[in-house]
Formats: sequence, C-alpha cells, structure tokens
Amino acid sequence: MKKFVIFLILGFCTTVHSFSALSSVLNVYSHRQPFLIDPFLKAFEQATGTKVNVVFADKGLVQRLRAEGVRSPADVILTVDIARLSAYVDNGLFAKIFSPKLNQNIPSHLRDDGGRWFGLSLRARVVAIARGRVKSDEIKRIEDLAKPQWKGRICTRPGSHVYNRALLASIIAANGEEAAEVWATGLVRNLARRPQGNDRAQAKAIYQGICDVAIMNSYYFGYMKNSDKAEQKKWADALEIVFTNQGDRGNHVNISGGGIAKYSRNKKLAVKFLEFLSENQAQKLFGRINYELPVNPEADAATNVKMWAKFKRDDQSINKIADLTPLAQKIIDRVGW
Amino acid sequence: MVGWQIFSRVSPSYDRPSIWSLTGVVVALFLLGPFIALFVVGAGDSGGLWPHLMETVFPRYVANTLGLMAGVALLSLFFGISTAWVVARCKFPGANFLEWCLILPATVPAYIIGYTYTDFLEYAGPVQVVLRDIFGWQSARDYWFPEIRSMGGAIVVMSAVLYPYIYLLARTAFRLTPLSYYHAASLHNRNFYLSVDLPLARPAIVAGLALVLMEVISDFGTVEYFAIETITLGIFNVWLGMNNLVAAAQIAIFAFIFILGLLFIERRARARQRFSGGIQNIARIPLRETRAWLACLCILICLVPLSLGFILPVGILLSFVIEGISMSRAGVLFNSAINSLTVAALAALFVAVISSIMVLTTSYKNHPILKFLSSVSSAGYAFPGVVLAIGVVSFSGVIENFLGGFIEAKFRIGLESFLIGGTSLLIFGYVIRFLAIGHGSMQSGVSRISPNIMNASFVLGHNFSRTMFRLGPPLFRNSLLVAGLLVFVDVMKELPITLLLRPFNFETLSTLVYQFAKDELIEQAAPAALIIVLVGLIPVIIMNASQRR
Repeated sequence: MKKFVIFLILGFCTTVHSFSALSSVLNVYSHRQPFLIDPFLKAFEQATGTKVNVVFADKGLVQRLRAEGVRSPADVILTVDIARLSAYVDNGLFAKIFSPKLNQNIPSHLRDDGGRWFGLSLRARVVAIARGRVKSDEIKRIEDLAKPQWKGRICTRPGSHVYNRALLASIIAANGEEAAEVWATGLVRNLARRPQGNDRAQAKAIYQGICDVAIMNSYYFGYMKNSDKAEQKKWADALEIVFTNQGDRGNHVNISGGGIAKYSRNKKLAVKFLEFLSENQAQKLFGRINYELPVNPEADAATNVKMWAKFKRDDQSINKIADLTPLAQKIIDRVGW
Repeated sequence: MVGWQIFSRVSPSYDRPSIWSLTGVVVALFLLGPFIALFVVGAGDSGGLWPHLMETVFPRYVANTLGLMAGVALLSLFFGISTAWVVARCKFPGANFLEWCLILPATVPAYIIGYTYTDFLEYAGPVQVVLRDIFGWQSARDYWFPEIRSMGGAIVVMSAVLYPYIYLLARTAFRLTPLSYYHAASLHNRNFYLSVDLPLARPAIVAGLALVLMEVISDFGTVEYFAIETITLGIFNVWLGMNNLVAAAQIAIFAFIFILGLLFIERRARARQRFSGGIQNIARIPLRETRAWLACLCILICLVPLSLGFILPVGILLSFVIEGISMSRAGVLFNSAINSLTVAALAALFVAVISSIMVLTTSYKNHPILKFLSSVSSAGYAFPGVVLAIGVVSFSGVIENFLGGFIEAKFRIGLESFLIGGTSLLIFGYVIRFLAIGHGSMQSGVSRISPNIMNASFVLGHNFSRTMFRLGPPLFRNSLLVAGLLVFVDVMKELPITLLLRPFNFETLSTLVYQFAKDELIEQAAPAALIIVLVGLIPVIIMNASQRR
C-alpha cells in the first residue's frame, strides 16, 4: 500500500514526464531549435527505429542537467557555439567517449582531446560589403575593420553576442590581448550606429545605405539569398561576402556540436546518434537546412553552400577559443562594443 | 458616516496559529526555496569580477535600467489611469466595447511586439517606404526618422503592452469607490476626481505599477532585441559570456533587493492610509454625461494605447499569416494550444488559491512572520525568468535528490528524475513567477473592504474559516478574476521558465513562437503568436461576462 501511494505521488509529479528506460528511446537536450534538428532526428528514427525525445531550451540546460544529477534522463546534448560546449565540460556533465568513427570523421581541432564533445557543423563569421560601394579587395583581413578609412561605415550586432565574442577570442588567440583590444576599440570607433539587431539586420542596414560593411555569419547570407521573400533577396543582392585572412591564418569559424550526458543510461545508442550526425547524409543536411558547412572533410557540402565551401579556415583549436571567451567579454565591456 | 475612514489594523485577537497561517507559512517556505537556491549560488566566489564590472559596464546597466523603468512607469501610468478613469466615469459611445478591448494588449508578448514594430517602422518597412514615395527621398541619409531600436522605442513598446496591469486594477478600484464619498465631496465643494477618486485608487494603481516595473526589470527579449544594456542583459553577459553564474546570480539578487526596497518604501508611505467603505455603499457613481468633443477625446484616449499595443502589432502579424498561410503545421499548433491552455489555466487557479490564502491570512490575522514571508515570496516577478527557472531546478534538484535517495534505498529501485521535467514543476515555476500578480490584485481588493465586515462576522460567532469561505468569494470575486486573467495571459506568453522546465516533446504556443522568433523569422512565428492572442481572449471574455452579471 505504502509503495502504491509513493508511486502514485511520483506519478502525479511527473504526469507527462516520459520514463525512458527502453533502450530504443533517445533523450536529447538541445540548444538548437526544433525546426533545425527535426530533420536529423527523423532521419535517425527512420534509420534505426529509435524514438527520439527532445527538450529545446537555449539557456540554462547546464543547470537543469546538473540539478538532475545521476537521475537525469538526458542522453545527448546538442549545442551551438563552443562556449556552451565548454560550460558542460567545466561542470563535468559530459561522458568521455571513444569512437574511432567520430575521430575519423571529425578533424582533431574540431573535437575535444578527451572525447567529451564533437563539432558537427561549421559556420564562418564573414565580412559583408556593400556591392558597388566597397571594392572586393579593400578588406582582406578582419584586422582591416579597425582602419580609420572605415569610420562611420561599419554595422554589427552587439559585441556581447556569442558570435562576436568568439570572433574576438579568435583575434586574441592570433594577436594577443593587447592587440585585440586595440582592434576592438578601432572597430567601435568605426561603427555607423549603435550595435543592434541580429546579423540579418546588418544586411538590411547595408541595403538601406546606413553602412557599407558588416560582420555576419555565413548562413544568414544563404538564408536571405534563398528566401522566398523578394525583399530578403534584395538585401542579399546588395552585398558581397568576403572571407577574411585568406593570406594568413584563415577565416574564423565556429561550430555546432554535441556530447553525451555523463549519466546517460543509453550511451551506446547516444554514440550511434553522434556518429550518424558526422556521416555524409547528415552532414549534407546541415547545409540544406541551415546553410552550414560540414565538419567531415570527406562529406560533400550541400549544393546550396557549395559556392563558398572552399575557403581557408582558421584552424585555431576550438578549445582555445572557448578558454578565451571570458577575456573577450571583458574587452567588449571595456571598449563598449 | 461618510468621508475617509482611517482604520487601525484589525485587532490581533485571532492570531493563534491555525490551519490558515500554517498553510500560508508552509506554502511560502516552499515558494522561497528557489530564492534560497539562488542566494546559495550567489554566495559563491565570483572570481574577482566585480571590480571589472564596476569599472566598465555596471553603472551603465543601472542607469539604463532606471531610465527604462522611469520611462515605462510614466507612460504606462498615463495609459493605464487615463483609460481606466475614462471607462469608469464617463459616458461615451462604444465605452462598453472599448472597456474590454483595453485589456487586449496584455495578450501580446513583448518580444513579438518589438519585432513587429521594427519590421513596420524601419527603413524597409511600409511607413518609411510611403514617406520616401511622398517626399522623393532616395536613401536613409536624406532624412531623419526616429530609431525604433532605442531607449525611447523600448519605452513605448513596453508601455503599450504593460499598461493593462494598471488599467485593470485601477478600473476595478474606481468602480468600487462608494457613492457616498462622491456625495460627500460634492457637499464639501471639493473636486471629487482629484481629491477623492485618485487617492482612493492609489493602492490599486501602485499594485499595478509594481507589476509593470518588475516586468521591466526582468525583461530580456525586448532589451536584447533593442540592445538596451539593462541589468538583465548584464546578467546574461556575465553568466553566458564569462561563464560566471555566481556573479550573474549576485546581480540578479541586487535587482531583487532593489525591487523589494521599492515595494517596502511604497508600503510605508501609505501604511497609515486605509480607506474603505461599507459594502452597502457600492452603488455605482453616476457616469458623467459628455459633450460630443469630450466623447471624442474619451475615445481617443482609449484608442491610442489600444492601437499601439494591439491593433497595430496584431494587424502586422495577421498580414504575415495571410501572406504565407500554410496549414501543414495545424496539428502541432493545435496540440501546443491545448498544452498552453492547460498549464495557463492550472497556474491561474493555483495563483488565485495561494494568493487568497496568503493575503486573507496576513490581512485578517496578525502574523508578522507570515506577512514577511508572503511579501518576499511574491517578488519572484523581479527575477529574470530564466534566473528564476535556474533557482527552481536547483531547489527541486535538492528535493529530488533527498526524496529519490530515500525511496531508492527503501525499495531498492533506480529512479529517473521525477520532479524536474514534469509538468507539476512547470506549474510550480509559474506560480512563483506570477504570484506577485495574485498578491497585488488581492491586496488592493482587501484594502478596499472595511475590516468591519469581517469583524461583524467574527462577532456573530463565525470562526475564521467560515468567515473567509462565506465572505471571501463574493467580496473578492473581482480581484480574483483580475488576478486569474492576468496570470493566464502571462503564462500563455511566458517563455524562459517554460523552455527550461518543460517535459520532453512538450511544445506550447510561446515555445513554438520562440524557436522562429529567435532567428528573427517573424513570418514563421506569426501563426502561433496570433493564436496566443486569440486564446488569450477567452478569459477576457469570461471575465467580462462575469463582471457584467
């Protein structure tokens, strides 16, 4: 009777909570929106007959996983941006995985040495210039944006956004803290308006003639170029994409990635899922759905990103960039980006 | 007897611990759990981040937050009081219809309204296109147009959807002003509206304003989109940018204490004022007959905030939906709507019950500890949603660990998380976040009812419970309806707590909206956003029907 009452109480508490002791169920905590990952999950479900459950939240999943502790139902964590991956590492929430397949499919600078996380797709942080107002060879390096000739001509989103923070971290890694701060100061001096909006808004600003140069993630360009909205196409047509630092370290890239929860009861299946994401079929999907580039060098980029799949990438260890983000944020605070 | 009656607090002869005060204390302690969890997090080592923050961004965060609060306070007070007064006191065509329409902006999520306005007012939007066509301007450099993504823009946008808190509470208060006071003011040749009506509504107006300000200080969506560096934006920069949850929690606690301080100062300021009329006096004050131009003015006063907060943004959403209509996601939308409705209704019910217990017990029983606990526990609104959500998961993690460990040892079984990721915890999160609404509404309701009514019941030999059950529902029906309505529409819109605490595969309308709105894919977000607004109409209609009776 007592047992019955306790289970009744537990049942009440969980109501919709799904107990997933079945091995053919995979529980995913995702920082990526459902509409971006659903096609992958469907493909995996079809290929393996597994049922995949998802919770999407872009902030706080680290704390949820931590609070759940050993009883956590989570198997796989999917994130964007390296800083989020390293937050899981810092809190000891990832299991160490050894998978020859993952190691083979993913270049070593895009995964953790200890096998705790793996990059799954790439996005380049590129410079967009106004077609016709800026010549395509006027900006060659990201460092050029601090030059006085661009005064009042640059638009960006706020510096404290993850993408800009990681970009600045990559500059610290390449040139040192002092040089990075000088660069950020110069950039802020060159801004045409208070940093605001997202990357798409910067493209719009170029189209509007508010500025001539903007920093944006490559996939936004893909989105706008292929949009079924005529006006978004116009924004894309108003600009040209410049991959920076092609003559030296390469263009800064960030990753989306994943890892396996430390207390997952389903690690085998979880590894299988990550392996699935690193293979050709899924790698292509990243391009098709979100205009991202494959991490797997053997995988083909989807046709819609092929045009800019070949560029020199900054092969700076992603781990190093994660370590430098807090410092980058401090610089951003100091220069008021 | 007419005129202002100043009562002392109810005599403390009923303050023996009872089932009421006990329930109140236990519930309040539970509700305080997540705050305590946050204080524990904040008590950690922030790694010497404060000197850096003080030197660089913190003063800016504080200044911007205060500026935003002041601006939104002024504008939403203006919108809220003027509309409430006009519909409660004046006779003009369409008054009945406008009266209920004025609540509608509360159903529009602030993060959505920010997007729609930007879309509408920016360079490529219809307004500027038309202006350029008319005046022949060629580019943005040819003319000046106010920047919507600015402090001013944020103030207008937030006031336009937040004023209904003040409007609803003030309207209820105006309606309850006893007719006898009106006659007394006329006899003494005093301006009734300025010297009686407004001061009498002050507790209600302040309760509404407190909700508005807490909403402003905890808002993330709008300030992020408009790039206004407020304290809440700072919390996120420190937490996610510097990987420093400790310092982030410290900033959140700072904001929380600031809000508590404000509430305390206000309460002290009117501690000695207690105005209440006998129940028999609640005859409606006659509506002012208005001349044609005054009637037009009344309509205008109502239409301005209504257009800003509802007609315009919803019209823009509607145009998105019509442009790109697709029924392929109808099933998902339907399920999400059911989920939203269920959790919103449950949360509204719990908030109504819990805030009644707390406010009634603290008001009619002299219980200093409970009084303190209940005021603090209802300030969860001042925390940014996701920070509160972290408090909730941390707190329930502790409980789960304790209970789970006990059960596992006793029955030799392995358990999965049973609190976190369950719908009950989600409801618990909502209750903590929105208890302030129930509190504010009930408190202003109680302050308008003469304690003599309760005392009469006690004197007639009814005990506390019987008195509350007999007199509570009829006396506080309106306050509870207002609270339930506001909590309902707030839960429908709520985002960070829902995102973080929800079970697997549990979509609500607001999570559907967010997954697209996050990337500024406003067109795809529009159908779900519209349904939030539509479903939000249900309680508005129910409440109106019930108040009309």
